[in-house]
Amino acid sequence: MHRPNYLAVFWMFARNSLIRDMTFRTNYIIDVIFGLCWALMNLGFYTLVYRLMYADGDGAADIAGWSQYEFFVFIATTILVNSFVEGFFMANAEELSELTRTGGLDFALLKPIDTQFLVSLQRINWSAIPKLLLALALLAYSIPRIEGLTLHPIQFILYPLYIVMGTLILYSVMIGLAATSIWLGRNQSLYDFWFYITNFSRYPMEIYEGSFGSPLRFVFTYLIPILVVINVPAATLAKPLSDTNWPLAGFAVVATVGSLAISRWIFQRALMSYRSASS
Amino acid sequence: MSVIEIRGLRKSYRVYQKKEGLLASFSGLFRREYREVNAVKGIDLSVEKGEFVAFLGPNGAGKTTTLKLLSGVITPTSGEAKVLGYVPWERDNDYRRRFALVMGQKNQLWWDLPAQESFQLHQKIYRIDPAAFKQTKDELVDLLGVAKLLGQPVRELSLGERMKMELIAALLHSPEVLFLDEPTIGLDVVAQHNIQKFLKHYQQVRGITILLTSHYMKDIAALCKRVVIIAGGEIVHDGSLEGVIDRFSDYKILTVDFADDRMPSDLARFGEIREIAPPRAKIEVERSQIANVLTNVLANYSILDVSVEDPPLEEVIASLFALTEKQQNESKESNIAAAAANVAAAGKN
Repeated sequence: MHRPNYLAVFWMFARNSLIRDMTFRTNYIIDVIFGLCWALMNLGFYTLVYRLMYADGDGAADIAGWSQYEFFVFIATTILVNSFVEGFFMANAEELSELTRTGGLDFALLKPIDTQFLVSLQRINWSAIPKLLLALALLAYSIPRIEGLTLHPIQFILYPLYIVMGTLILYSVMIGLAATSIWLGRNQSLYDFWFYITNFSRYPMEIYEGSFGSPLRFVFTYLIPILVVINVPAATLAKPLSDTNWPLAGFAVVATVGSLAISRWIFQRALMSYRSASS
Repeated sequence: MSVIEIRGLRKSYRVYQKKEGLLASFSGLFRREYREVNAVKGIDLSVEKGEFVAFLGPNGAGKTTTLKLLSGVITPTSGEAKVLGYVPWERDNDYRRRFALVMGQKNQLWWDLPAQESFQLHQKIYRIDPAAFKQTKDELVDLLGVAKLLGQPVRELSLGERMKMELIAALLHSPEVLFLDEPTIGLDVVAQHNIQKFLKHYQQVRGITILLTSHYMKDIAALCKRVVIIAGGEIVHDGSLEGVIDRFSDYKILTVDFADDRMPSDLARFGEIREIAPPRAKIEVERSQIANVLTNVLANYSILDVSVEDPPLEEVIASLFALTEKQQNESKESNIAAAAANVAAAGKN
């Protein structure tokens, strides 16, 4: 009875955020436009790359084994995961260092509810929705154009599941980095680090090869598992199911659970050392 | 059993001592000097159910730190505390559902939204029964007279109005223990008075335990029978407000209205003269001498009116703060002197 109803609280966050977004209409519209521009520019860039490759080669262009429409699925997956991270977590992680610096975290700590939940989800960013729709449209456009692809029903289940897992991995890295601001008083730069490393997740993992690529691939698959974030769901949908995919797909589950556990540990430790700020 | 039990509570911080200037900032990158700040230096206190206790002390005395420790916002360096039987910094949800902290200088309501949206969020977070929620909210809104402001974004409220909303938000879940950190700071006299009146009424009706910090003596005089004075992280007085005067001031103020404008010139023999505005004179008289002086004055001069009063509370407390600070500095210096002497002695050996 006395456990808070997390779903009801989450719904309240979403509702209040929407009311707030609607108050600042112009701001909301600008957010939407810039978000869409970012996604479309990404898409346009790779369309150009494939055009160039078609022009150069024998008519079968691919990037590290990804044909154009397969790669569009990859991009759609990037946009999709990105819109989830932005929609749920990004504004909150950004806010965390501010809350630490001003002592606003005090109030979060007073509430009879999980502090990490409260801090991670209190601002829902509704301007991420158009981006999400764009990603879905891109999927609908690209999938029928992939040669020789017939979708198995299980792929419809696995894809959303891996999208959620990918989102959770990115969230874990994000909140883990942001939580260090509690430890260090304020450290915005460590949170900015998230943008640098997650850049690596936006490309097919096959490109990380050779004496430079292989170590990178190892680090970003097993230590900070951001390479599985986009690669696993995208491959699940765009590539035929094969024996070589399964180990990585299995590992993605482990990586998600592991990332969440580690980031939670960091968050809890950070809270213990919270110093608050002068009143 | 006491609602609040504190034993030997200590909190110290390590603070980076930044030197002035750019060059010093660079050297600070490699070698840092830290200073240990003892915000709370071993406090013992117990508070019974239904008490309304004031924490009084100069800035930086450790009042807010103590409230934050009791709220579980920060963890102590050492010592124990129990509130309602819980150790605050374990942050048990059951504990967090039973107390509230209001800070006059911070705000927990959603800045861009009307306060009522934040109230609803609280209902969900604290899982308050909808009927009870409505009843409590209506009652509080009515008592504080803010019904018309519920739909206005918090950022458009005045400071006093916002403070009322903060109080409502904090009281919606009917806490048994309430920590108030300078709830009237920056408010005008009317708003201060309204909040005082509300707190007094609410505390009497609900019988909850309240710990209040304030700089306004009026707040404290109006609300609290028990005053705990903290200075330099230690408790220097725990008792009634009147007790402060009895204990820390050894004089009274004698005001004499003479029958004509010709004031006697030898008033200084009775005590220090505070003010002379013929035909009135105010003299500080030692407490033990007050009866003698009064007889003497009445016998020797023609007097229209006379009154004996305690010195103003603010004054007593200000001098008390100054005294404590001086003592603490002296003890610090004597420690340093002792240490220096030890070093010198060691050098000789």
